[in-house]
Amino acid sequence: MIDFMTHSIDWLGMSPVSVVTTVFGAFCVTFAVIICWGKLVEDFGPIGGMLAAGFIIGTFWLMNHKLPGFGINPELIADPAGGVKQFGLIYQGFRGTAPWVDMGTAIGFGTWIGGLYEISRGERFRAAVESLPRVGAAILGGIIGGAITGLVGWTGANLFGYR
Amino acid sequence: MRYLSTVIGGAICGALCFGIWPEMWKSYGIMGGWITAAVVIGICWYMNHWLGVIWNQPGRIWVDQGWAVAAAGIAWAMVRFHAPFLRALPVVFCCLLGGALAGIAAVFVKKHHLAPATPPQTPGSEVSSDD
Repeated sequence: MIDFMTHSIDWLGMSPVSVVTTVFGAFCVTFAVIICWGKLVEDFGPIGGMLAAGFIIGTFWLMNHKLPGFGINPELIADPAGGVKQFGLIYQGFRGTAPWVDMGTAIGFGTWIGGLYEISRGERFRAAVESLPRVGAAILGGIIGGAITGLVGWTGANLFGYR
Repeated sequence: MRYLSTVIGGAICGALCFGIWPEMWKSYGIMGGWITAAVVIGICWYMNHWLGVIWNQPGRIWVDQGWAVAAAGIAWAMVRFHAPFLRALPVVFCCLLGGALAGIAAVFVKKHHLAPATPPQTPGSEVSSDD
């Protein structure tokens, strides 16, 4: 049982244990955001929203995405099998060689599904179709911003001996 | 125009997250990541959702800046580290599954079971303060 649960499946790039932790981490952060964030904004206004950003996203970042290392200037802990050992709940597939999957995926889709579920039954299809261009625009913006940020690896700058 | 502002808001949020977060984590460890959440997500939330740069209206399905962060993470890693896109899909699917379950569960809880922090005031029940 333990062997099966911890054995990395080749085509999936992760073990069944990682599937369980990923789904659980995604569930926790989305549930907390949907329940708490709106209420905090209602109670405290924009200050509440920025508090929520720190407390909810900061704390769940620690749980879902923390990387190995201790305190100031952390050293990565190498895994004997190669790569870097991961401690976060949301697994980065294929021992971290897959593109970064953020918990924003879960929050975005969770709020979308939640909104769909709140709308009365007959209106759902129209509301979903209406929201798709806005979702597409947000994703397009993310692709532009992320890709341009990624370009810094291509500048070839060699400042102060930093590689 | 609202679509354009949505694209710009998403681009800024994605760029800030993946330009700053890894550096802060590498410099200050766990606390750096926590502070980055407060600063970056705080600013981006204020811009995108409080001031409304990402287009949302009451009564419609909520579009979160999480979509932008998710897309930015994948695009950033593909450009920066040449990571193959298809390898992200299993984890993306797990995240979508967890998020969908949580969305339905949270809205169900909010609809049926959540008690307000303060009891609702009924007309005539206010305590008079003229003593």
